[in-house]
Amino acid sequence: MTSVSSLELTHFQAFLLFAVVISVAFGFLGRRRPKDRVRYILWSLFLFLLVGVGIGWAMFPFSR
Amino acid sequence: MEEPSQNPAIEHAHSAPPAKEVPSPSESRALVCGIAAWLLPGLGHALQRMWGRALVVFLAVGLLAGAGASMKGNVFTRQGNDAFDTLGYIADLGTGSFYFFARAIETKGADVSHADGDYGTRLLATAGVLNLLAALHAYEAARGHKA
Repeated sequence: MTSVSSLELTHFQAFLLFAVVISVAFGFLGRRRPKDRVRYILWSLFLFLLVGVGIGWAMFPFSR
Repeated sequence: MEEPSQNPAIEHAHSAPPAKEVPSPSESRALVCGIAAWLLPGLGHALQRMWGRALVVFLAVGLLAGAGASMKGNVFTRQGNDAFDTLGYIADLGTGSFYFFARAIETKGADVSHADGDYGTRLLATAGVLNLLAALHAYEAARGHKA
């Protein structure tokens, strides 16, 4: 069995990977026309990033 | 015009026996598509010639499961200690055949003592839940519902 070297991502990189992959999958599953898909993917990605970064900032006062 | 019989026994004798509920061909096909989609991500859509969706689901689930296992996330097994382990196992099983792919990648076991391992556990669960959603979508599409 082959061993794969471990992948090291920062919190933001892992979050970005999650947001991009899920947005693309939701866009393809939820919309039929290419134009609608692109719009949905971009909007969904924007909301993921906004909410993720927003929650990050909201937790900042409690981090120390 | 014939009058309906007042005697229930006679009426019962004339009525046809209750038909067994046999799934229609489209329902059976939908079930096959749903199960195929769960076993191999994207296959349910490929069987319906939805090539774009099939490719995206295959790549998305594969990427998430591969990244999760490479980050030493926890690939849960049947021998869970608590309800969260069981839930994690169900979520991981959602990836279908990619569950074994994830276990094959993770030869050295999980390491959730670091943040990477914890992120990996979440990515693996996300892959499973996403594939279950895609399988449900393939099932609904095969039933003729708007998708």
